[in-house]
Amino acid sequence: MTEFLQLLFQGVSLGATYALVALGFVVIFRSSGVINFAQGAMLLAGAYTISWLATDVGVPFLPAVLMAVALLALAGAAFQHSVLRRVSGEPTFVLVMITIGAGIAVTALIEALFGADQRLLGDPWGSSSFGVGDVTINWVKLWGIGVTVAALAAYFAFDKYSRWGLAMQATAEDEEATLSLGVPVSRVHLVTWALAGALAVLGGLFLAGFPNSPQPTLGDAALRAFPAIVLGGLRSPTGAVVGGLVIGETEVMTSGYAPAALGDNFYAVAPYIAMILILLVRPYGLFGRAPAERL
Amino acid sequence: MRRLTLPALAVLAVALPFALSAAQLTTATFVVIAAIGATGLNVLTGFAGQISLGHAAFLGVGAYTGAVLGADHGVDALLWIPAAGVAAGLLGALLGPIALRLRGLYLAIVTLGLVFIAQHVFFNATGLTGGPQGRAFPAVQFGSFDFSPGKVLRLGAATIDSSGLYYFLALILLAAATAFTWNLRRSRSGRAMVALRERETAAAVMGVDVGRLKVTAFVVSSFLAGISGALYGSYLSFAQPGQWSLLMSIQFIAAIIVGGLGTTAGPLLGCAVVFALPSLLKELPFLPEAGSGGLSASDLTSISYGVLIVAFLTLQPRGIVGIADRLHRSGGNDDHAKTQKVTVTTPKEAHS
Amino acid sequence: MRRSSSVLIPLAVVGSSLVLAACGTGDSKKDSGSSGGGSAGTVKGGPGVDVAAKTIRIGDINALSGPASALGKPVAAGHRAYFKALNASGGIDGWKIRLTIKDSGYAPQQHVQIYNAIHDDVALLDSFGSPTTKAIQKLVDNDKLVTTPLSFDSIWGTDPVMAPVGTPYSYDIANVLDYYTKSGKDKPKIGIIYQNDEYGQDGLHGFKAAEKGLGFTDAGQQTFKAGDTEFTAQIQKLKAAGADAVIVIALPSSTGPIVGTAASLGFTPQWILQGPSFVEQLITKDGSLKAKQTPVAGALKGALVTSFSAAWGDPNAPGMKAVVADHDKYEPGAPPSIYFAVSYAAAKVQAEILRKAIASGDLSRAGILKAKENLGTVDLGGVAPSPTYTPDGGPPSTKSLITRIDPAVEGFLKPVEASYGSNVADGLR
Repeated sequence: MTEFLQLLFQGVSLGATYALVALGFVVIFRSSGVINFAQGAMLLAGAYTISWLATDVGVPFLPAVLMAVALLALAGAAFQHSVLRRVSGEPTFVLVMITIGAGIAVTALIEALFGADQRLLGDPWGSSSFGVGDVTINWVKLWGIGVTVAALAAYFAFDKYSRWGLAMQATAEDEEATLSLGVPVSRVHLVTWALAGALAVLGGLFLAGFPNSPQPTLGDAALRAFPAIVLGGLRSPTGAVVGGLVIGETEVMTSGYAPAALGDNFYAVAPYIAMILILLVRPYGLFGRAPAERL
Repeated sequence: MRRLTLPALAVLAVALPFALSAAQLTTATFVVIAAIGATGLNVLTGFAGQISLGHAAFLGVGAYTGAVLGADHGVDALLWIPAAGVAAGLLGALLGPIALRLRGLYLAIVTLGLVFIAQHVFFNATGLTGGPQGRAFPAVQFGSFDFSPGKVLRLGAATIDSSGLYYFLALILLAAATAFTWNLRRSRSGRAMVALRERETAAAVMGVDVGRLKVTAFVVSSFLAGISGALYGSYLSFAQPGQWSLLMSIQFIAAIIVGGLGTTAGPLLGCAVVFALPSLLKELPFLPEAGSGGLSASDLTSISYGVLIVAFLTLQPRGIVGIADRLHRSGGNDDHAKTQKVTVTTPKEAHS
Repeated sequence: MRRSSSVLIPLAVVGSSLVLAACGTGDSKKDSGSSGGGSAGTVKGGPGVDVAAKTIRIGDINALSGPASALGKPVAAGHRAYFKALNASGGIDGWKIRLTIKDSGYAPQQHVQIYNAIHDDVALLDSFGSPTTKAIQKLVDNDKLVTTPLSFDSIWGTDPVMAPVGTPYSYDIANVLDYYTKSGKDKPKIGIIYQNDEYGQDGLHGFKAAEKGLGFTDAGQQTFKAGDTEFTAQIQKLKAAGADAVIVIALPSSTGPIVGTAASLGFTPQWILQGPSFVEQLITKDGSLKAKQTPVAGALKGALVTSFSAAWGDPNAPGMKAVVADHDKYEPGAPPSIYFAVSYAAAKVQAEILRKAIASGDLSRAGILKAKENLGTVDLGGVAPSPTYTPDGGPPSTKSLITRIDPAVEGFLKPVEASYGSNVADGLR
């Protein structure tokens, strides 16, 4: 039982991180129809920026995180402004391809600047933990879950109550109509990319937290969040959260309990299999809806 | 214009190996082998508008089919090369129906899952793939006509070495694949595919059998991927399951977009850029010697590879063929159709 | 159809030209002695050898970018340092070594491309990595180009043109298990957690052989994928099985999370790390003694490491002095690393092969291969296990360097056994 509860907690913790990553994808997809393949590189950039500020420059941890959030938000907006804005209206996968290229460049740049070895994150939690019964709870994991919940709440509030949130929803529904209503759609895109950059810092932070550390392959974890966004439906923030948790638990539980007959490392593909099975039943994900077809 | 360009390209392609150094020929051979696979993907994505990130899985299936038949059962290359295509094509036919249910980027992500699932199978099917250790792949052999390293073909004074032989074999297969897809594009099915790409629902209403068409596109695409994979494995001589990765799929997508989606010459031109660029960048004279400290040539290569993709597509979203066509637009009425804007129906666009 | 014929013309042209000539291919008989251009003195030249200028070129296809660059960069630095020092001290009988380092990014395809670019211009080759070297193995065999694989797979011993350095992983694991079972408690339970690729498989091979030969209890064989971030389930299974010792076959980026996860679950077995699982940055921020310690440094204390090379600056290894001196003089920017040391040692073996070939007056491919096959044992002064080359092949060394992690010493590895051999490892042959 202890083992199961321990895995359950690890699953929630991993799922929360995936949810943060998935939300980053969904924010961009909703407003521009682009799957941002540079998200992994942005996570990496977030983790390294925190690490650089906190361990090399000597900024205290919390200001380092806030500065990283600001920097990455700026970088996200700059990318939208200087690159993606120029190709708006081009086929979706040209835009997707551009994000792939950007991801390759950013990952390589980080490796060139910081080397391929792992680094210290500079967080205050380290390996500290406490026990609940026989279950071990790492402080960094608990903070990860807490920050995820806070970030999601903030996002939902922003989405629902702020002017930008409304404009983003409208843009997601119908870009041309929104534009004709006088909403500055290009500025909406700027805000979404800034948001995605900020979310990537938080995702990167908890992905690189104990027992992991900032190192160049960390960005690959973004790929593991893909099933989460598809599961939830590409444009549903709620779906991203549920999808993240489902995928996190699927991965950890199959890692613990999958029979050997399914092959070594079955847990690594289990999320994709779950994703495909669900899509066969619901082609637009659990929380997506089929769009009205118009000729 | 086109009628002159194509033969000229062909003559150039045939003469090329005799003008290249050994290393450049190796690069060129990989490019032509990849172009066969890219030609297939161009049918699926460029003609029918279905984005697939699963191409590497089909290359892997083709490669292992070739290896099992050619190396483990001693079958002649005359058989195992087509068989590799058939095996991959069958898998495509099997998966096509799944694609029927999915649109746009959902399909892209499901096929991304396919790459990981295929890798899982490759890692665990030790008897066929060598498992994590990887396996050797057979050299192409037509009877006594052997492509192994060290063998040469003497044509009078000229000799063609192993790389050259692979180059010409791949070139012949590429020419055949290109001719086939070129005719397909002009057939009833081809026009229907384009209709499907532009507006799926409209195409269905107008009587296009969307299901059959998507499956056809999948089969053609995966058949050519299988051939490409078999040659790739054979030329590389050894591969591990990790070889058939998402990165490989991405390179194929990049190639057909950079080349010019849905165009005849696009796959080859795009592959030349995407697969040869890393080697070419490393040869630039102004870069510091590898490993001499600071920002090394290898770092700069990876960075500039990404930057070039971004810059190129930002400035020229229609690909290389787009540039060429703009240069002689007066050239032929037919060329406009080739570079017309390609729209993929995503759920979002279906909204508007 | 008029148009499609224009596509078919080139097809027919190409096709017929091949078919006409397709009576079969023959062997290319390369005169390997020719490119040296005559012979000055008594030494016969070959590819990569400039007899007039008395220079010999060595190629090094390395991984300076990509997933293995953390290991490839110090390897390249070790090579450069050794040959710079050698040239500065007059070379080999006045022959100077030129090094061509190329980056394959650990991609087999790039590796083949680079090989084809440089193989006619080099007399010896270094090839980094296992999948990459396997991709060029047929080409290397065909060219009879003596190659040092920077990879510790056990298969290299069976190929006469390969000049591997170091003890294969499977032997290392068998040896360290022999050492552990003889020095620790009776009938221990031992588990293994390995990265599921060829690198993990070779160590697993040694584990299985040792299990048969030593009679310990198998506490489970757990796998993971490179790039994983979550290891709780695997650790729980090892913990539940009551493992006294756990072998880790990973890259350092996974070693940290594995050991860290176990520590926070209160699981503290005797850790045994296969060589590449360890890097100095696992202990402190930048791998130096004074820097801030990582969160897993404490949990790693006392872990056994089968090392490629003696600990940095080890006073018990007489050869280490030169490694440290040449590092400080020629490559001070490279972090002190076991990869630097082992690659320095590999370079020394290459120099010995060339020295023997020069002594017998034959630097052609055949001459160098002959020199390698008859080299006998090269004393590496304890920096790495001394390899032995004979015409019969076999692993270059079956002895292991066993060290223990101590965060209080430079390099963090304290030698336990400098050259440990066992019957189990001998049984792997």
